Amino acid sequence: MSANAHRPAEALKGLVRRQYFWGIVAIALLLLVNLIKDPGYLAFSIGSSGNLVGNVIDILRAAAPIILIAVGMCLVVATGGIDLSVGSVMVVAGAVSMEFLSGAPDTVGSGLAAIGLVIAVSAALGAVNGVLVSVVGLQPFISTLVIMLAGRGLAKVITGGQNTAATNESFRWIANGYVLGLPVVFLLALLLALAMGFLVRRSALGLMLEAIGMDAKAARLAGVNRRALLFTVYILGGVLAGFAGVFATASVMTVDVSRTGYQLELDAILAVVIGGTSLAGGKFNITGAVVGAILIATLDKTVVFLGVSSSATPAFKAVVIVVLCLLQSERVRRAFRQRRAATARPAEREAVAA
Amino acid sequence: MSARQRIAKALGAATVGALALGLTACGGDSGGDDLTTIGFVAVGPEGAWREANETNIQDTFTEEAGYELKYAPATNLDQKSQIDAFTSFVDEGVDVILLSATEATGWEDSLKRAQEAEIPVILLDRGIEPDDTDLYVTRIAPDNIEVSTAVADWAVSAFPDGANYFVLEGPAGVSVVNERNEGFDAVASGQPGLVKVGAQTANWSTEEAKGVVETVLKSNDNDVQFIFAQNDEMGLGAVQAVQEAGLTPGVDVKIATIDGTKNALESLAAGELSFVAEYNPLFGETALEVVEKVLDGGDVESSIVVPSATFDSPEAAETALPDRKF
Amino acid sequence: MPESLPIVEMVGISIAFPGVKALDEVGLRLFPGEVHTLMGENGAGKSTLIKALTGVYKIDEGEIRIAGEPRRLGGTADAQNAGVSTVYQEVNLCPNLTIGENVMLGHEVRGAAGINWRATHRAARETLAKLGLGHLNPKHSLSALPLALQQLVAISRSMVARCKVLILDEPTSSLDANEVEQLFTVIRGLRDQGVAILFVSHFLDQVYAISDRLTVLRNGRFEGEYRTSELDRADLISKMIGKDIAALKSLDAKASRRVRTDDAPLYAAKGLSRKGAIEELDIELHRGEVVGLAGLLGSGRTELARLVYGADRPDTGEVTLGGEKTEITTPAKALARRIAFSSENRRDEGIVRDLSVRENLILAVQARRGWARPLPRREQDAIVAKYIAALGVRPADPERPIRLLSGGNQQKVLLGRWLATEPDVLILDEPTRGIDVGAKAEIQEYVSDLADEGLSVLFISSEIEEVVRQSDRIIVLKDHRKIAELEGGRDVSAESIVTIIAEDGLGDPSADTAVREEATA
Repeated sequence: MSANAHRPAEALKGLVRRQYFWGIVAIALLLLVNLIKDPGYLAFSIGSSGNLVGNVIDILRAAAPIILIAVGMCLVVATGGIDLSVGSVMVVAGAVSMEFLSGAPDTVGSGLAAIGLVIAVSAALGAVNGVLVSVVGLQPFISTLVIMLAGRGLAKVITGGQNTAATNESFRWIANGYVLGLPVVFLLALLLALAMGFLVRRSALGLMLEAIGMDAKAARLAGVNRRALLFTVYILGGVLAGFAGVFATASVMTVDVSRTGYQLELDAILAVVIGGTSLAGGKFNITGAVVGAILIATLDKTVVFLGVSSSATPAFKAVVIVVLCLLQSERVRRAFRQRRAATARPAEREAVAA
Repeated sequence: MSARQRIAKALGAATVGALALGLTACGGDSGGDDLTTIGFVAVGPEGAWREANETNIQDTFTEEAGYELKYAPATNLDQKSQIDAFTSFVDEGVDVILLSATEATGWEDSLKRAQEAEIPVILLDRGIEPDDTDLYVTRIAPDNIEVSTAVADWAVSAFPDGANYFVLEGPAGVSVVNERNEGFDAVASGQPGLVKVGAQTANWSTEEAKGVVETVLKSNDNDVQFIFAQNDEMGLGAVQAVQEAGLTPGVDVKIATIDGTKNALESLAAGELSFVAEYNPLFGETALEVVEKVLDGGDVESSIVVPSATFDSPEAAETALPDRKF
Repeated sequence: MPESLPIVEMVGISIAFPGVKALDEVGLRLFPGEVHTLMGENGAGKSTLIKALTGVYKIDEGEIRIAGEPRRLGGTADAQNAGVSTVYQEVNLCPNLTIGENVMLGHEVRGAAGINWRATHRAARETLAKLGLGHLNPKHSLSALPLALQQLVAISRSMVARCKVLILDEPTSSLDANEVEQLFTVIRGLRDQGVAILFVSHFLDQVYAISDRLTVLRNGRFEGEYRTSELDRADLISKMIGKDIAALKSLDAKASRRVRTDDAPLYAAKGLSRKGAIEELDIELHRGEVVGLAGLLGSGRTELARLVYGADRPDTGEVTLGGEKTEITTPAKALARRIAFSSENRRDEGIVRDLSVRENLILAVQARRGWARPLPRREQDAIVAKYIAALGVRPADPERPIRLLSGGNQQKVLLGRWLATEPDVLILDEPTRGIDVGAKAEIQEYVSDLADEGLSVLFISSEIEEVVRQSDRIIVLKDHRKIAELEGGRDVSAESIVTIIAEDGLGDPSADTAVREEATA
């Protein structure tokens, strides 16, 4: 990860210091719990068409849309903003694609056209966020809340209030197909996340976003073009959410105007925080956001696998998240260490006395 | 400004915004003097069944029939927006309020206000909890218990040798879910052959149902013969998950759903679903009769059951399909 | 000075940070009823020593005795309980709270039903009145006050805590002469009540005016403890910097005027104005000259600089750059046209605290290129290495977060940031405020060199002496107006400028005391 991690031991040490390390620990623990319930949990088998089948594959598939919106959210949060509209952009993307495909022939061309349409519409919604935040100067919370409320309404207008279904094999393949035995949808999400990571770290975008998020005044006086950057970031967030919407609807080839993407903005924010990006803005971590997204998907799947009852599900999830946040808190960890040290000391003294 | 302040401010503004949206939604133009005003606190877009139901109500209470219907769908199935709409109908002084509650609990205060204002309230489809029949005139609904009992009866006959089954529920706490569980469990629990391997919510959603079923099949090594989906959308998601697990729906895993939408009947005709119990949404006529009776000062039963049909074969589905309105 | 027992005794204090020994067996004694000054260059360990005494840093070795008792200070609360209060270099108050709330924070007057706000505000008003700040309404928001008054509010806050030891870390760096005198009156009052005061300042005159004894640190080591009356200034400076002061004096000799080579100005603005900031004025900047802005605090110096840079959008004004008409309405446009501006507010508008020295240094260059054209790492390293060496940034570690550097070194990094954009016009607003004598001399010398190389420098300082010595031409501002423009020469001095300010209009009774003598003079 970092250039100075020469040896594996050092690399491991660096990993432990990262916030998202605890996210990885939590994923491992959840998998372990599942493994205890069913020793075959982690097993893979080869499916009918040569693809891998297994619970882990299901988790990766479920994580794909969350990864995308979490990565977008991560960038927005770095600038000190927040994007509450991602869930609504997802449903608009789903509505646009389903409405288009339900009237289009079942060809690869119309599948691609649907994706093009989604990119255009979600970029436009992101641009509206960008205008409200950077030009009009509204609080990001309010601006994106407007799109969050309006977006779902827009989706209902597009589909005439109905849950629209469509048939298109190539579009369906995005969410259900396999390449090299792995689900296309996860590979795509990973690819997009990597591309974003590459974009922000290889260009100066990451530095500029952090500068805005850490100290907007100083960044402005240093000539950083805040307006253009915010614009870029909200559009990126919108397009990523659009892809997430494609993933969610292509899975069942149905857009559910009231459920698709519903409250997923909260999952995205959670994933970003678990990944070690502060909501106050500044330093951000895309890898962490991806880990956070996978953790949330693992948690969702674990709830079903363990057969936790519907009414207890929210409480179960809350407990896992709270424990994780406590583990991540430097203060709590220090308190633990001090207690351990305090209990260890009397023992030492006895040893000396003896 | 600190992050906390920012959020507090934003939340304040959000509440104001939501209120404003709610108010405009139930505003509408004031009708003529001779029309009877009906306030319809509706659920809004939720699925094909709801769509058919609410369109049917709107098509029944027309101006030609002497009514002005004010339609107020909930914002994102949010109860708060429903209560706001309900309250403003009471303040406006409409003649009758029709209510399809998104959540069963928390309606006492609103219903008491309507009672004080002497506005009769008729519950459509969804019930309330606690079910205090003094607070409303009547509830018109297909009987969830009856419908889900029909599903259970079919399951008993379809699996004479017993089966492992899984239930896809709606959101926890909704009265429909409770009633559909109650009717089904009453029969199924008396059958030692029917073994429940679990139940989980999929929030009425196709996408979530698919995700849930794919995991359930793995956690039971595909040893599930029957899935009871509490609505059609979730049933259709279950079909896709079963297919992806390499099993054949209708053969390896039989899936029963409730609602009876066109999509579900098509799927039944194709042999993917095995049983569809209709939950008849078309009770606009019944509602109209009740409203007229109430306005004339007549008495009505506190619960009116709308009759529903069941479809247990592809043939039955094909016969019903051409006339399906929803 | 009473030769009683010391109230604070720090013996053999050592503190190490990763890679650096910040303090090496340093000692410090404070007696009740004395003003004791801690002297040393930036990075000498003054701040670290203070933070050890206030419980912010844990000491690795040594002992702190307060009132004769050894104390382990685990945090600022411990220190406050022991009677040690601090007013930090940069104002540490809550800008969202009112003046009164800031003064009384943690010491609110409690009644039967929680905090009695009326009594709290009354107590705040009394405390402020003792500092001669009775005209401030404790119910007004703190953020509305100028920085200088905020500083005095911070001092009143520590008075509320009824401390036995008061630490004033550069309290005067943003005060004008009147306010300094006001503060000194208060300090003397506190001293006479038996409070031990630890004072840190870079203004030698102030040190000699107020302190009884002083302790000198250099490079984290204890250099000596002296009675102020027994150590003259030249000796003090040489003890601080560890070399002869002849090198510093050479700056005076260099102050010979540059000869302007071109007639056409590089930058010219006609009728530049912004409502509430500056009234219409003309300003010209030539290549190879330093133009100074002189005036009292609040006269519009900073406001003018911000207009030239586009940090604030001018209402009127016609700007020509190199003979061509142009519009400079944002910092990005200014940078694109090779104008750079170093803000007086280093903490909020200068450094980006959590970024590294390297990132801070290249930020402006990168911003001008746009995010899509990243500066290759090799070029970044070259720029960073160049300016760290040229400006003598210490420690010379490009990857260290800039917040860990001392004020003077942060300022050098910022200077490097602007120079890296290769500007034609460089605006420096208080570049030497709050930094030590050594760094100050280095920066002053560097500014002169820049002008010699052909840069056009607009120089702002609240020390009129410094402006006079640095500038070839001086624009005098008063009440947001330009009242005079003076060519540098023998007849221009701090006194003559003060006279101009004082005689303008009705005159300003405080003006003649507003001049601070340059520390190294």
